[in-house]
Amino acid sequence: MAEKEPAVTQASGEDLAARAVADGAGDYGDLARTSDRMPRKRRDSGTRWGGLLGFLSPAVVLILWEIAVPLGLVDGRFFPPPHAIAGTFWKLTLDGTLFSDVWVSLVRIVLGFLAGAIPGLIVGLSMGLFRPVRWLLRPVVSATYPIPKLALMPLIILIFGFGETQKVITIALGTFFMVLINTMAGVLNLDKIYLDVAKNYGANRRDFYTRIALPGAMPLIFTGLELGMGMALLLIVAAEMTGAVSGIGYRIWAAQAVFKTKEMFVAFIMISLLGYLFAEGLSSLQRRVIPWKQL
Amino acid sequence: MAEKIVIKGLTKEFVTKDRIVTAVKDVDLTINEGEFVCIVGPSGCGKTTLLRILADLETETRGEIRITHSDPSKPLNSMVFQEQSIFPWMNVRKNIGFGLRCRRVGKKIIDQTVDQYIQMIGLQKFADAYPYQLSGGMKQRVSVARAFANDPEILLMDEPFAALDEQNKIMLQEELLKIWEAERKTVVFITHSIDEALILADRVIIMTSHPGTFKMSVDVDLPRPRRIAELRSDPHFNRLFTELWGVLREEVYKAKASEGLTVSDDEFHDDHSRTLADESRLVL
Repeated sequence: MAEKEPAVTQASGEDLAARAVADGAGDYGDLARTSDRMPRKRRDSGTRWGGLLGFLSPAVVLILWEIAVPLGLVDGRFFPPPHAIAGTFWKLTLDGTLFSDVWVSLVRIVLGFLAGAIPGLIVGLSMGLFRPVRWLLRPVVSATYPIPKLALMPLIILIFGFGETQKVITIALGTFFMVLINTMAGVLNLDKIYLDVAKNYGANRRDFYTRIALPGAMPLIFTGLELGMGMALLLIVAAEMTGAVSGIGYRIWAAQAVFKTKEMFVAFIMISLLGYLFAEGLSSLQRRVIPWKQL
Repeated sequence: MAEKIVIKGLTKEFVTKDRIVTAVKDVDLTINEGEFVCIVGPSGCGKTTLLRILADLETETRGEIRITHSDPSKPLNSMVFQEQSIFPWMNVRKNIGFGLRCRRVGKKIIDQTVDQYIQMIGLQKFADAYPYQLSGGMKQRVSVARAFANDPEILLMDEPFAALDEQNKIMLQEELLKIWEAERKTVVFITHSIDEALILADRVIIMTSHPGTFKMSVDVDLPRPRRIAELRSDPHFNRLFTELWGVLREEVYKAKASEGLTVSDDEFHDDHSRTLADESRLVL
């Protein structure tokens, strides 16, 4: 029977990708739509030129910067030349400060991220699947989501003091909303026919969560996780600027007080590196969790 | 033969914002155990609504449905949907075994059943492929296999081959005939094609357009097993075709004439249908 099949195997990839981009659900569509960058990525990495040019631009910036400082075009007190930053980087690596700062921040980020993402995922799936839950919680979410989490920090400090909990909670709040909103949008975006199929084939409540909503919403869940991760990096620095004695955010603040701009730049590099590593980690996880999506 | 499905005076009304639309009206129908019944009608005549009521995805407004569930260990019905309905996030294997997994059947039996149907639809090489890697015909095969693998007492099929090209359609019809002739399940099959109905069914029922009611029922006394190529040149097949088309033609014209005044039954199943109306009101 197999050889009777005409060779039209690769026909329907685009519609999946296109559907993911199509109408974002409800009020949060604009957040949800970020997921359309996946196909674009593939086009970029294809060419060898892309890699070379991508390497070239930061190199040129660094060289210009290096030259500009001795020429007096850039103030070296605010923008220390790259080689000086590299020296400080090395020094902080050797004496262990760099590692301990990064480690402390990393633990806070990971704890806060998990504390926000897991409830966000569960509430988001429930709101997407069950209309009464959506009716019940949507007003609360809509009202609390727009409040900048930074504005809540003074209150969080009042409640939890200047401890680890305060930092973890701040990050968790930011991540929670990002994951919740995108997860819900992911479930609402599911074609209704899949819910009909599930019902007709006798799926129980657990099946609806684990076999339909969770895998079906996975592309948007990952968008939520990525946005949540960005939020976590933003909030960790802010949280560590007030009442911390360690961490990357603390390092920036402490360096400012004594005018050690080189140390500040080292901290910037570490944040950027963390962000890059998280993004790579998420996208490799994504490839493994969503093998059904043509990339 | 035992009566499997008995429908009496079935009526379904949908309430829209400013009126009540009758999709199905006073339908009486008895389907016997192991019978293959095709329901043919112009688009928008409420065929899909009728099937969705049988599948328990929609509730009737009035009337009575009695379905005999003779073996409680089997599911009562499984539906093959018109559109692409296999889950994009499951491979062929997982899709076919979906119903069995929902019923918590043992893993061994699931594997065996799934293997058997993968073989039957000739997708051995694609057992671990995801739907995006399959052609339209292959996807619909998986959809049919998913329903058969679930081993329901009644199969409900909603224009399952309507979106396929001619070659694929004929091939799938042949495969369906082969599987059905081996298993003899009760089947309610919706189509708008008389040709398809005559090829597959023991009995063809013609529905009128808006509101959907039953107009006539014709027994298809063509011998089985059937071969599509032979059927097409069979004079009896052609006589039946001409007779049915004569009846259906009228309905199609009526449906055409009232188009624009009525809403196709598909639209009732779409939550977003009202937003369009709302928007046009805003513009005014």
